[in-house]
Amino acid sequence: MAQASKVDSTGMRTLRIDPFAARGASVSQFFDEVTFTPLETTKESLFGAIQQLKVTDEHYIIYDWETKAVLIFTNAGKYVAKINASKIEKDPKVKDQSFYGFNIKKEDGQTLIEISSGKQIYYFDLTAKLIRKVPVNKDKTKEKDYTNYKKFSDGTIIDQAFLEESGKDSIYYNISLLKDGKRVESYFPYRNSDHKGDERWHGGRIYDYGNPDEFLFIKNFYYNIYKLTSKKLSLAYRILFPAVNSLPMDYDTNPIYKGKGYDYYEKNRDVFFELTNSYLHYNNLYFQVRNWNWSRDEKKAFIYNLKTAELTSLADIEPDSTSQFLPVTDLASQYDFTNKGFHLVTPEYFYTSYSSLTLFTAKEQNEDKNRKYNAAITEYFKTQNKKSNPIIIKLKPKKF
Amino acid sequence: MFKLTSVTLGILLSIACFTLNAQQAAVNPGTAKGIVRDTAQNYVLKSATVSVYKSADSTLLSYQVTNNYGEFSFKNLPVNVLLRLDVSNIGYATSRKTFTIPAGKNTIDLQTIVASRRDILLKDVVITVPPISMNGDTLEFNAAAFKLDSNAVVEDLLRQIPNITLWGDGQITVNGKEVKSLLVNGKSFFGGDMKLATQNLAKNAVQKIQVYNKSRNQQSTNPADSTLEMNIKLKKGKEVGFFGKIGAGYGTDGRFETDASINMFTPKMQLAVVGAINNINKIADNTGELQSNSTFKGVGTNVEYQPDFRAEGITRPSALGANFTYNFIEKPTWELKNTLKSNYFLQGKNTNYLADSKTTTSVNSTDKVIEDSNTDNQSSNTTQRFDSSYEYAKKGHNLNFSQEVNFNQGDNVNQTFRRATNLQDVLTSTNNSMNTGNYNNKSFRFGGNYRYSPYIITQDTRFRGFDADYRLNTYNNESERLNLTEFKSFTGTAANQKFNRKYNTLSDGFRQELNLTIRDVKGLIFGNKKYSRLTFDLTNRLLLNSDKNDNRVQDLDTLSNVYRTNAYLNNKVTTNVIEETPGLKISRGFSKSMSNRYYKNLDFAFHPKMLLINQDNQSDRSFQNLKRSYSQFAPDAGITFYNNQYGETSRQYSLDYRTTMRIPDINQLAPLTDSTDIFNLRRGNINLKEVVQRELSFSFYSYDQRNKNTLNYNFTLRAGLNANNIVDSLLIDEQNRRTVYLVNADGNKYLNGEASIRKTYKLKTSEFQFNLYGNFNTGRNPGYTNGVFTYSSNLNTYSTGGINYTYKSYLAVALSQSWTTYKSKQEAFNTQYSGKNVGTTLTASYNITKKLTLNSNISNNTSTSSNAKDIVYTIWNANMVYRFLKGNNAEIKFAALDLLRQNTSVINYGDANSFTIGTQNVLKQYFMTTISYYPRQFGKKGKAKK
Repeated sequence: MAQASKVDSTGMRTLRIDPFAARGASVSQFFDEVTFTPLETTKESLFGAIQQLKVTDEHYIIYDWETKAVLIFTNAGKYVAKINASKIEKDPKVKDQSFYGFNIKKEDGQTLIEISSGKQIYYFDLTAKLIRKVPVNKDKTKEKDYTNYKKFSDGTIIDQAFLEESGKDSIYYNISLLKDGKRVESYFPYRNSDHKGDERWHGGRIYDYGNPDEFLFIKNFYYNIYKLTSKKLSLAYRILFPAVNSLPMDYDTNPIYKGKGYDYYEKNRDVFFELTNSYLHYNNLYFQVRNWNWSRDEKKAFIYNLKTAELTSLADIEPDSTSQFLPVTDLASQYDFTNKGFHLVTPEYFYTSYSSLTLFTAKEQNEDKNRKYNAAITEYFKTQNKKSNPIIIKLKPKKF
Repeated sequence: MFKLTSVTLGILLSIACFTLNAQQAAVNPGTAKGIVRDTAQNYVLKSATVSVYKSADSTLLSYQVTNNYGEFSFKNLPVNVLLRLDVSNIGYATSRKTFTIPAGKNTIDLQTIVASRRDILLKDVVITVPPISMNGDTLEFNAAAFKLDSNAVVEDLLRQIPNITLWGDGQITVNGKEVKSLLVNGKSFFGGDMKLATQNLAKNAVQKIQVYNKSRNQQSTNPADSTLEMNIKLKKGKEVGFFGKIGAGYGTDGRFETDASINMFTPKMQLAVVGAINNINKIADNTGELQSNSTFKGVGTNVEYQPDFRAEGITRPSALGANFTYNFIEKPTWELKNTLKSNYFLQGKNTNYLADSKTTTSVNSTDKVIEDSNTDNQSSNTTQRFDSSYEYAKKGHNLNFSQEVNFNQGDNVNQTFRRATNLQDVLTSTNNSMNTGNYNNKSFRFGGNYRYSPYIITQDTRFRGFDADYRLNTYNNESERLNLTEFKSFTGTAANQKFNRKYNTLSDGFRQELNLTIRDVKGLIFGNKKYSRLTFDLTNRLLLNSDKNDNRVQDLDTLSNVYRTNAYLNNKVTTNVIEETPGLKISRGFSKSMSNRYYKNLDFAFHPKMLLINQDNQSDRSFQNLKRSYSQFAPDAGITFYNNQYGETSRQYSLDYRTTMRIPDINQLAPLTDSTDIFNLRRGNINLKEVVQRELSFSFYSYDQRNKNTLNYNFTLRAGLNANNIVDSLLIDEQNRRTVYLVNADGNKYLNGEASIRKTYKLKTSEFQFNLYGNFNTGRNPGYTNGVFTYSSNLNTYSTGGINYTYKSYLAVALSQSWTTYKSKQEAFNTQYSGKNVGTTLTASYNITKKLTLNSNISNNTSTSSNAKDIVYTIWNANMVYRFLKGNNAEIKFAALDLLRQNTSVINYGDANSFTIGTQNVLKQYFMTTISYYPRQFGKKGKAKK
């Protein structure tokens, strides 16, 4: 095997976490402010659910997978414009010009929406006006195009499928750090044949928690949370769950489990096959787990305080006056938070969203209680219904 | 007497509804609210079950599941009465609180109810189960939470659950959606008839009832493909048991009935043995029917199963059946199943049928023939059937085998006397015929089906599976018949005819069918390259048919008194038909969904097929040696649209187009004409062409997704054209002798449809169910009568409406009204026939005490026909049932049937150019006393069988 870098585990902390022991809390214990922004519903702006969310000083920009569109709203929720396949010139050589996400680029003080579709990259301004297009570099002999890769502030790029040519069976790396086109470090080598037939294998995921110099990384089938800087990967937290919830230690490597994921999870329904959506905010470590059970009684999204070792269940954060007695996530009713976690995490704000069905259900359950809502929500309840566009929830976390 | 129109019914019922509502509100004005909190962990309990009981006797008054804020709020509770509140949740000890709602204030805030985890709190643990809970996607009803009589059965339990409706016709709906299958411990129970489980299994043997969605196709993610399934989970130790019935009754006029059944089950095996004999027209045609008519039932009200007063004639049936199921795998799943089922049924039947009828037929635009006919038919029949099936499923592989052997033998004597007169009431002819015969038929059926679909489908899976289906049917029939016919004409002696003819017919043959479907051929050839979004399935159907007929016919030579072979009718015919249908099914689906808003699905399918048929007849008669080939392009097509608006309704619209071809058989092309068939002399037509039928159908259903007072409806419409339809060219002479020539005629059209609506109103202690059903069939049939071409237009309708009302488990009342109409019109003759049958039925069942029940059933029938007097009669049956012994295992029943002595059973029907009215012999008034014993036991040990 080729040269893989050594993971630094000197600063590792072991966290023993029993989901059953998670406690509840009130919204105000964790958040100072909760802002609900219903996104305006018009015939043109109607969309399904928020798949991707970016925030600028004055706008919310979202991507909706169901309508395959990028929609631009003001930060008060007013609809501005929409970019979908119809805004892109027809390329007769490309059959489906749908796109599956977007990026934000700052250029000369102007914010541009970058969308790659077919063989072109398109740049739009915040009124959905096409500014320019650039052909995609598809020439394989040339260097890899790193436009959409996660980067550190010093320009170091994270490559999650770095290929090392070495003989007949190529070796890839789950994590590689590249600076100025040169490899700095490479971690977790694998061969394509290693995971053939294991449908749930994806290497691992990187989570951006708003720190330009550090990301969190979780390798698939392990309960380890790593910190990734432009210099190195270090194991920060090793989580131990109760035995009934844990995968066997050798699950990733023992060939007896290979390609038998579904059978294994079906038989061991309590086992967490994935640890996901982890963010760090001061002393609070956020994360979610997934298993084969669907019951809502099971707690699966948590906040762990690294200082006090207190475990809080996100689903059991009770609405109070800070949130106008409205829920802050849809963990108790729908699946948006379960599937996506927070859309965006910064040191100042967390962003999530849920459907109008969820908000109206909460309103119905608050009837006869004489709740007072602010002007925006009052107006929303008056003019909208269960089928209106989703609502963005902006949470200001307490810094502790 | 019970001619209530639907309008008056509606008014009556709405008044009843109103009074009930008003009463409830006035009696129970109390409200109670609170919040459930785990104070140790500092959170509220969402979806904990909160139940309110009357403290004195623990009667369950109401229950709720807490909302996302952990809150509950009850309305309509009694005031100034000591009440008890139980809160339960999985993993928690039950929290209990007693309270009284003060009168005057009518409301109480119970504040925070503290829930404690079971592992923390060990003392004072109250073990109770909540009535209802959600376990993942499964809705669970816990039997122990419902207090019922110790002899209650599952049906009584289901009636207590607010989300479940048991319909008058046996259908079960949960939140408005129909339960399509019912399992016991995950397995089908004695063949799947829901009644067998719900009316036999003791409520006390049940742990819980689970309801969940089951996908018809494992790979399908389309919610339209899922159906509701109910599983009855038995308590541990109760998976073994037996139940049955033994009963005998005797009554006036020598009427009797007796039946016995025993059903045993273990986790892997089910065995049932049943038997019955009676002479009151209670005819069962299979083991399942006998089983479902000897259920234990509950203490609740039931509209009793009764002898068929409308059946033709008097039948004395006797039957014996056995049914055996073995599950090689104790807990079968979708991916793993291994089951053997077999079934034996023996039935003997003696029927005596007498009928007098008068048929009026239009001969031409002015003349009619009126025929009085008198029939006496005695028949006896013995049927034996043995069938078995085997099912095996393992990860993507599905294999089914089934076989059936049938033996059917019997004899009959039929005498018919006919008199034909003309409009002036002048006798034109008489015909007396007597047929005696016996038959012995054997048949065998075998079917095999193999289906493969890959267990896991990925982008790279090329082979997406195939279906192979094979069926074989063989038969061997033998019959003997003697026909004596004497025809006398009163308008010319030359036409008189007399026959004494013997028939001996042997026939045997087979039919083999092979269906093969290869799914997604595009993927198979091109892999995952997406050349088009269409899906292509290759289909092929091959049918081989062979029939051999050997007819030996002899006539009595009146001179020598010896039977001599009839050289014309004595014949052997062999017919071989090969049918090959290759086809390509092209389909495409579109779906559109918006998170938490809706899911819509549109499917198109186009299935062009080529029908190729080769028909080969070989006969002793050279004119029957025919070889013909047919081919027809026969496309099918369909569009289905499914629209699910979350929390509101789910609806489906389907439009289908079908093409089928019917080829004329040898008896239509070139039959041997038997001159004894004076009233139906069949002449063939060698030039007959194939009939091509094209049908367009539209269907629609709407399911209500609300929890209460649901409204569900559906309808279907079918319209079709038969090109070159084979129709009769009828020649009727004034003596009413008929000769039928067959000809092809275009212009056959039909339109038929049906619709139904169901609505429930569930009140606190009572329930109303309304249902309306209607169907109609209208058509225009071309035909010739005495050489004159005429279109005959028909319209037949049937509609029925009913209301069921149940009050607790004491009273059940069902009122229903049905209308049957027919109308036919002959354009060329300018004649028209019409008739109407209106029936009103009122059934009531009242439990005077837990052991004593009174049942009454009155039905009024009115028959009107365009040219005859109205016939009105009322049948009133009543009975009193008394249950005794500790487990209500014994029953004595006094029954009085046809109390008013009015059963006449009217004949009243019409067809293309005639109508018939008359009477037939039927069951009449009798009184009967029946004693029955129901042995039953659930669980191994305990009380021995009494």
